[in-house]
Amino acid sequence: MRKLLLLFLGAVLFSATALAQRSITGKVTDDKGNPLANVSVIVKGTTTGTTTKADGTYSLTIPADAKALIFSSVDMGTVEKIITAQSVLDVTMVAADRTMQEVVVVGYGTQRRKEVTGGLSTVRGQAIADKPVQSFDQALAGRATGVQITVPNGVLNAPPVFRIRGTNSISLSSYPLIVVDGVPAPTGDFSSTAAAGNALASINPADIESIDIAKDAAATAIYGSRAANGVVFITTKKGRSGKAKVTYNGSMGWTKPYGIPEVLDAYQYTDLKNRALDNNPSLNPVLQFNLAQDANGNTINTNWADWVYRTGFQHNHNVGVSGGNENTTYYFSVGYTDQEGMLKRNSFTRKNILFNLESRLNKILTVGGKIGYSNEDNKAATSSGSLPGEAFNTTGLGRIVLVNAPNVSPYNNDGSYNIIPQNIVGPMNNVLNASNPAASQVGFYNPVVVLDKNRSNSEGNHIQSNVYIQLKPLNWLTFRSLYGIDYLYVDNESFLSPVHGDGFAAVGSASSTLGKFKRWTWTNTLQAEHTFGANHNVSALIGQEQDRRTNVGFGLNRTQISDPVYQVIQAGWGLNNSSGLAFGENYLLSGFARLNYDFAKRYFFTANLRQDEYSAFADKKEIFWGASLGWDLSKENFWAGSLDRTFSSFRLRGSFGKVGNVNGIGDYAVYSTYGSGLYGALPTLIFNQAGNPDLLWETSTKADIGLMFGLFDERLTFDFSYYKNDIEDLILNVPQAPSAGLPTTVPTNVGQMYNKGIELSISGIPFRTRDFNWTSTLNLTTNKNEVTQLAPGLNEVLTSTSGLETVSRTAVGYSLGYIWVVRSAGVDPATGRRILLDKDGRQVFYQFYAPAGQFNYSYADGTRAPNITQANDAVMYGNVVPKQYGGWDNTFRFKEIDLNVLLTYQLGYYVYYGTHAGLHDQRFWNNAVDMLDAWQKPGDITDIPKPVYNDNVSNGSGLPMSYNVFKGDFVKVKNVSLGYTLPSRWISKAGISNARIYVSGQNLAIITDYPGPDPEVSSNGNGTTNQGIDRNTVANARTFLVGLTVGF
Amino acid sequence: MRKYFKYTVVMLAGMVFFSCNRDYLEPIPQTSITDATAFDTPDRILNQVRSFYAALKNGNFYGGRYVVYGDIRGENFLNETSNLVTGFDVWNLNPANTSQNSVKNLWSQAYYTINLANLFIDGMNAKGLDVVGQVLGNNYIAEARLVRALSYYSLLQFYAKPFADNNGDNPGLPLRLTGIKGSGFSDLARSTVAEVYDQIIQDLNFAEANLPLTYTGTTAATLNTTRAHRNTAIALKTRVYLTMQRYPDVITEGNKIVSAALPFTAGSGVAHALQANIANVFTTYTTTESILSMPMSTTAGDFPGTQNQLGFYFYNNGTVGSSEFSLNPAGIIAHPSWSATDARKTALTFTNAAGKKFVAKYKTPSPYTDWVPVIRYSEVLLNLAEALAREDAGVNARALLLVNAVRQRSDPAATIVAATKTDLINAILLERMIEFLGEGLRNNDLMRLLQTIPAKGSAPSKAPGEQGYIWPISSDELSLNSLMTDN
Repeated sequence: MRKLLLLFLGAVLFSATALAQRSITGKVTDDKGNPLANVSVIVKGTTTGTTTKADGTYSLTIPADAKALIFSSVDMGTVEKIITAQSVLDVTMVAADRTMQEVVVVGYGTQRRKEVTGGLSTVRGQAIADKPVQSFDQALAGRATGVQITVPNGVLNAPPVFRIRGTNSISLSSYPLIVVDGVPAPTGDFSSTAAAGNALASINPADIESIDIAKDAAATAIYGSRAANGVVFITTKKGRSGKAKVTYNGSMGWTKPYGIPEVLDAYQYTDLKNRALDNNPSLNPVLQFNLAQDANGNTINTNWADWVYRTGFQHNHNVGVSGGNENTTYYFSVGYTDQEGMLKRNSFTRKNILFNLESRLNKILTVGGKIGYSNEDNKAATSSGSLPGEAFNTTGLGRIVLVNAPNVSPYNNDGSYNIIPQNIVGPMNNVLNASNPAASQVGFYNPVVVLDKNRSNSEGNHIQSNVYIQLKPLNWLTFRSLYGIDYLYVDNESFLSPVHGDGFAAVGSASSTLGKFKRWTWTNTLQAEHTFGANHNVSALIGQEQDRRTNVGFGLNRTQISDPVYQVIQAGWGLNNSSGLAFGENYLLSGFARLNYDFAKRYFFTANLRQDEYSAFADKKEIFWGASLGWDLSKENFWAGSLDRTFSSFRLRGSFGKVGNVNGIGDYAVYSTYGSGLYGALPTLIFNQAGNPDLLWETSTKADIGLMFGLFDERLTFDFSYYKNDIEDLILNVPQAPSAGLPTTVPTNVGQMYNKGIELSISGIPFRTRDFNWTSTLNLTTNKNEVTQLAPGLNEVLTSTSGLETVSRTAVGYSLGYIWVVRSAGVDPATGRRILLDKDGRQVFYQFYAPAGQFNYSYADGTRAPNITQANDAVMYGNVVPKQYGGWDNTFRFKEIDLNVLLTYQLGYYVYYGTHAGLHDQRFWNNAVDMLDAWQKPGDITDIPKPVYNDNVSNGSGLPMSYNVFKGDFVKVKNVSLGYTLPSRWISKAGISNARIYVSGQNLAIITDYPGPDPEVSSNGNGTTNQGIDRNTVANARTFLVGLTVGF
Repeated sequence: MRKYFKYTVVMLAGMVFFSCNRDYLEPIPQTSITDATAFDTPDRILNQVRSFYAALKNGNFYGGRYVVYGDIRGENFLNETSNLVTGFDVWNLNPANTSQNSVKNLWSQAYYTINLANLFIDGMNAKGLDVVGQVLGNNYIAEARLVRALSYYSLLQFYAKPFADNNGDNPGLPLRLTGIKGSGFSDLARSTVAEVYDQIIQDLNFAEANLPLTYTGTTAATLNTTRAHRNTAIALKTRVYLTMQRYPDVITEGNKIVSAALPFTAGSGVAHALQANIANVFTTYTTTESILSMPMSTTAGDFPGTQNQLGFYFYNNGTVGSSEFSLNPAGIIAHPSWSATDARKTALTFTNAAGKKFVAKYKTPSPYTDWVPVIRYSEVLLNLAEALAREDAGVNARALLLVNAVRQRSDPAATIVAATKTDLINAILLERMIEFLGEGLRNNDLMRLLQTIPAKGSAPSKAPGEQGYIWPISSDELSLNSLMTDN
């Protein structure tokens, strides 16, 4: 009450002094003299203020007792100027290195970067805003230490492989927790069709203000059981007080493939395959490959890639309006993006809207909220063969262009599709089936038919909204309550034509399924801050949170189309079945607390504590914690006078703690359950899950030591960390003897593993003049991963690629998913046979066709050798976890021109290039052009064996071998953007405050010895134990953008 | 000011401490039943009864592949596709310990079925008998034991040396008779072949004593075909005893359900008899000839599944089937005593445009809902006939009548004559090949008589004792059951 009275009095006094005010004017410019518009100018200690106009000028009536003006803008930070007697006050603002002043999000609050003692990296929204990506995570590669991003393929909107400080689980997810404006967001691919649908694509990169990445226990422990993989905080743009600022960002671009393996043309193919037939006398001599002619009499020479790939066009538009007054601010934006992929019929369209509002009703009460809605339409005709589980799809487009014979055409000479009743592309003149030449197989599907007729789409409607209330009853105490929802509705829709392809056998097939993924989160926190004495700064937070998720799915699959003209599921079909049924629910109830203490901003201490109760466990409660210490040496007395001439800052920090991982545990994993089925159309109740009532969280014990210092007045800064993450109670699906008759493996907390390494980030301004400057940041992260314990009696975890090929073996003493193959040792110059090494390292010569008296497998002396098998003879051959990765980010500015070049790299790892096996397979499959270098006569020195028709062993298709394993090390020119900022003198008359045009390119160049299109690849998506596999995957695309940003 | 603070604190406390919903922490599965309540109601128990049949019906077991493997190991089929996924290695008699689709999947599916039966028997004894009463409860337990017996019998035909080899004194199977719900029970050594057969006989005897004579009601015909009744147990015993070469027992059991003279029918229980037209048996699935069959419907999960369907393997008329296996032109199809007018040739085989012949017993289109016969009355007749023939020093007259009953049903003009006991036995064995082509019995017949598996096409022959004569043991079993030994 007393306070209100004071307010009232103040108001009266203000009106009384209103007579004694005066006017002040001035101009705000940047260090190059360019006027700065929309800079907020406020009289210090009041709410009186204005903003600068497009020409940088301002005019403000100030009270007589005004002492200083505060100039602030988003890009330039804050400058305070003392008011003198003069009525003109001009200000120059510098886009200072703000990294040490800025505020970072730390979970349920913010902290000044200087005072952070946990392992945190930040990526500004600007860095990713105008990149040709579908979701922000794809653009994070190389931008922060500890963060490893691998864009797995060239399918639009595929979720990247996202790792923070290594892979931290085997059976559960290794994807970090993503928290958007305080509400956890779903991650992964929501689509259940051949079109990828990254759940994070709902967040328009243009709306992101900052991305703060918490890596160590201290920074993540406040998220307790979900923190083991790190936590990524996304903060969307908020309004700023001042005149409404309108921005438009538009771009258009082109995306196309690069590095598609070059395959044989029709002539080369026909010759080579006939030679292979000759080399296999066991076959019927009738078999022959033959060229064919088109309707004009020209020889058919089909490059199947031309029928599958394209240059895709895209255009993107974002309009943002931000503004407000001292009490209420808003940010409103709409975005539209329409992107075509490099694969025909693959596209991504997003329409999104975001509204952020905050209103301070009075000194005590603030309310705010956010409305975010996004519609994402992911489209594809058919499988690309690139998403997890698709590698061996016969419809996989990436594979089909490499396999189908080039001497047949997609069309017959009468214009009809070249297809045969065996549901494969027609053989034309090739004869590979002696009794029925018309049924000869020289390819899988005809992709042209499938691209014309089929579709496999997924549409997401995603609502991410929240509302909050904040009460500040005392100036040191804040209560905040936030309720947020994240509703994702996924509509999967596919149609498989009966004419050809995957729908042939079922006489057409259509599926529609709806998935509803709903979450609400309610967070209540109470924060107290107080300074005791002069130097004891204490901040304490306690909170409670509920996180409730449900998912429901249902749908329909219909087969046996009743009329070929039909294309939708609502039409006439013969057979109906359910599809996409899903039901799940879980609930996380948590209490947490944080204590920050510092002494004179010199010694820092932070402790985090969280208790989680999770519905999926029988024993529900667990406590997680993290603590850290920091020491700002530059504040010490002994530092001043000598060291501070060299070091402009110098800080040490360390942290330790225990966090958990729960992401991926089934909602009912503790139960043994009986499910329902049918027996002759009558219901059954069948034991379908062996539960483990003792199942618990995986726990990570994380240690982190860091050192940060700046040199030459922060012109050069270093940030170094050492991390070690010990993971215990890893959940393994421990198999039981099949004769025990269990329906499922039993998830059990038994494994152990660690990740350790260093992170180093060096930022500097190598060159700075009035007109030209160059800023550069180099970051690198090393990682050593080792599995130290699996289950008793379980000495390996074999993880397949799409269920058919297993080269990923996880075993104690090795890093996850080690490549496990038979060693090959070239080709015998005398006979052209593949040389393999058995388990003892002894050379074994393989020939697919063994003449009388010889053997398929024999030793050098011609005696018979036991068959080489993967089970007996494979060795742990190479790691797929990169030993080092990072990026080098450079920005050059010359007057109005800016140039940003981002290089990314990963070093010290191997890739199993399974596609390479297929490219040398001696069945009807087309081959890489280097097959022309295959062995032909004694004395030939080559690593490609004598082609023998039907041989699928020498090349590695049937026997995974080191011939197809390559070093993956690469340096990539990930992104280059070149911009030109139009001088304001040109545009200010049009009411435009700033305008920039730019061109940008993605994946422009790659330096690598890897023979495939791109070693940054993952045929198994985000899989934890089967990375580093390149099996029939469509490589990353190259994209160019031309864009325009205008601010009003 | 103080007031404000108080209100705030009170509100805070309210929000923080009374807002959570602890019920959410105890979610109850909505799409399944927890094991604790699986025996709580008669309906749940009945649904569980169907579940072990459903497991038997799985595409890896009697719903498809078990039957396919039983045929393609023999000499009457040629492989058309060289596809390891669809039985090329089985046909070639060289599947490995690691062969997922054959050696590993059949092993695990059969043991899953056995475990379901064991869990059911345990649950019934603990609770279920009180819920449904002793009589019905024992009916159900008898069904579980019959399915368990059939599963063990089926495994023995592939993974163990035949009983005839040393009277079953060879490594058999891990004999699991109690239900397993969790980890820690992997290790169990193999019992001998004889011990496993002993358990099979015990189970079938229990089943005979406790199963209902017939099912009643509007769906009686379906139930009599898809669920075990007393005669099912007896019929299976004729098969098991024949496999053990205990011919007098075959005769004892056979006589319980085969009349002494023509027409041969079952005198009590379900009135089994041969159908006038054998083709009907494969279109009208619930005749009295079908003693036990695996029912199918077009609902997802109720048909055999991709690459498991009998029609997919054995048939191809252009739209149905994938012609994985054609009839070997040098096999039984060419046998001179199988006349061209035999209904089993005219109605149940098919010749395609290229002249290849296929079994045409299973012809329904995708998703292939042909019911799969597990045991038919004609087998009981031939089992009995063979036992009679072998037990009689001369040419057994009733055996001759029995085999002719089977022959003349399909080929009325033909009469089998036998001059000697051996002729008669051979005629019966031949008739089995013709009658059960595509029904999975060939392997059992080769094994029980310790015959060499003949060569066919490019596939080699295998004599008893040769590697490949019986299957190797699943590599998963060997690595996870430390007491397990390989074949």
